[in-house]
Amino acid sequence: MKKFIALLMVMVLAGALIACAGNDDTTTTDTVVEADTDDDAGADDAQADDTDAVVEQDDSGDWDGIPIALVTDYGTIDDGSFNQGSWEGVVAYAEENGIPHQYIQPAEKTDAGYLDAIVLAIEGGAQIVVTPGFLFEVSVGEAQSMFPDVKFVLIDGRPDIGEDAPYIADNTVAVLYAEEESGFLAGYAAVMEGHTSLGFIGGIAVPAVVRFGTGFVEGAEYAAAELGLAEGEITINYAYAGTFGPSPEVQTMAASWYNEGVEVIFAAAGGAGFSVFAAAEAAGALAIGVDIDQAGASDTIITSALKGLEASVYSILSDFFAGNFPGGTEKIFDASLNGVGLPMETSRFENFTQAQYDDIFQRLANGEVEVSTEVGPEAHLNLNLSIVEVVNIG
Amino acid sequence: MNVIYFIMQQTFFFMMPLLIVALGGMFSERSGIVNIALEGKMLLGAFASIFFINQVQSAENVHLDGHPLLLLALLVAAATGVVTALLHAFASITLNANQVISGVAINMLAPAFAIYTARIFGETNTQQVFFNNTFRIESVPVLGSIPFIGPMFFQNTYITTYLGFLILIVSAFALYKTKFGLRLRACGEHPQAADSVGVSVYKMRYAGVLLSGALAGMGGLILIIPTAVNFNATVSGYGFLALAVLIFGAWKPQRIVLAALFFGLLQAIAAGHSGIPALRDLGIPVHFYRMVPFVATLVVLAITSSGKARNAAPRAAGEPYDKGNR
Repeated sequence: MKKFIALLMVMVLAGALIACAGNDDTTTTDTVVEADTDDDAGADDAQADDTDAVVEQDDSGDWDGIPIALVTDYGTIDDGSFNQGSWEGVVAYAEENGIPHQYIQPAEKTDAGYLDAIVLAIEGGAQIVVTPGFLFEVSVGEAQSMFPDVKFVLIDGRPDIGEDAPYIADNTVAVLYAEEESGFLAGYAAVMEGHTSLGFIGGIAVPAVVRFGTGFVEGAEYAAAELGLAEGEITINYAYAGTFGPSPEVQTMAASWYNEGVEVIFAAAGGAGFSVFAAAEAAGALAIGVDIDQAGASDTIITSALKGLEASVYSILSDFFAGNFPGGTEKIFDASLNGVGLPMETSRFENFTQAQYDDIFQRLANGEVEVSTEVGPEAHLNLNLSIVEVVNIG
Repeated sequence: MNVIYFIMQQTFFFMMPLLIVALGGMFSERSGIVNIALEGKMLLGAFASIFFINQVQSAENVHLDGHPLLLLALLVAAATGVVTALLHAFASITLNANQVISGVAINMLAPAFAIYTARIFGETNTQQVFFNNTFRIESVPVLGSIPFIGPMFFQNTYITTYLGFLILIVSAFALYKTKFGLRLRACGEHPQAADSVGVSVYKMRYAGVLLSGALAGMGGLILIIPTAVNFNATVSGYGFLALAVLIFGAWKPQRIVLAALFFGLLQAIAAGHSGIPALRDLGIPVHFYRMVPFVATLVVLAITSSGKARNAAPRAAGEPYDKGNR
């Protein structure tokens, strides 16, 4: 028996090795290539001189250390979400201008762990540190006063220094997105496309998700008014799933909506969105993705409500290197700054045209159309609607 | 009527993985090995098989899809479950380790292994492994067009649903009507007695645990296929729910199927109520619906745990077999 087990184990190991060998030539881990440096510096025991050593390999001798650093939240650089979007912005700017850049993955998912990673980045010579996600609010709140000479870019959050109100120091910029405008575009497009029965499934009622939802409702209302529809002709089922993770329950909720006749569901729910897409596939119905272009995840996704992570990071970096870092401010990336939008090239619209999109986008950008920014779990019930009927679930 | 069909179809998506995994747990526990590792085995089975589907679907020179692929993937899932179960079996049977701890270790290992492997070998280097769902059966020929029964059982379904029932029947038969089943049960109740008449307790226990691995692995795949477009290194705690179904079902196949049906139905109603106007208009908060399956389980467990059912657990489950102990 023991021999048999030992043999089996050996075979498993051998199988794993063969699998490695077979794949090695096809998978280049692009993260490492792009990073210009050791991508594993996030480990606690990683030394600052580790990263220094790598800089010397870089051709541009003008830089003392690596001036641009990105600290990932616990996810990874290719998470298809915040880290990846921000990192692509860093890479785009840095490669264009030949500036060394690196990212660091914190060893643990705590405020202290994030701060350690930020310190590590600064020891590596970082002059500007990009931190994607509201998880960094506390650590950036501390780091901004510890390192007054270093600039911090906090994406989608405001530094938290333990007081009631957030404090944005002069060396920090809080990058926020006008999610409501992104949601607005999605809702507008869905109704213009000809859908009358819509749905919204948010992850958890945090401000960003709520803004996506209320914007979606208002966009639908706006389009309905333009089309001259009658009261109650557009219905929107509206719910928060209570989770950002995929689960069979979310799938069933979405499936029950599709079964009832909902044509398209906007899933602003992170991983739980994939459960919605599964329901859409089974029902032969449609869905709308969120944050980044999710068109590749399922053929049912007609479009995605984007946050322009890459564009915003790129823009802040160019400001910084041009000497006008917008420190001490909250910079809201909205339509006028190209911070939101729909990926029209990959969208699967049949009736909604690029011209219509450009038109509504323009109106958002120049302030002709205004979208509510109220947040709170009940925000969608307080909207001023005359055509759209919101069916609240919760 | 449409709503009833819909709820029934969704119920199967919840019920089948629970049923199959709980039956797996039954074989293991009936042989005397506590199997808290069902979650980990499910996860790894789901991971390996979804990864397999992903690779086959993206390979250019392999033209395999639909049901043949699904059946192959089920074999992959079962094989992975068996390999995982070998770890559990080796630790807890051969080495007499604590069965709960080796189970917990597998549960902790599984998601980490899945993420790590997916990120290194996956096409996109992300933890999500995508697949194309080409396995759904819109309507079973002939049977699907029978009124009432058709939409209830034979529309919007998967071949795995029927496989689940097949496994149920085979399991019940194997446990009660074969020599193997009798010996397995004996090892779970009084291994020394079984040993004294020449049954190898170690072999029977290995068989029980490996069977549980195979079934749990398949259960993982069966859970993911209808409810997701990718595998995201989680089976949403369904391994633990299956453990509850196993206990609720008093370690007996005929009761496990009822327990799985009960739990699946409540889950389907809880998750799907918002698309059912009659339930939605009651105005009961969504949180209440989410509690229902769990509260109901507690209540039913409390009622059924009295008297005879309390003694339903295999007597020797959880104890390493010691030949010298009489």
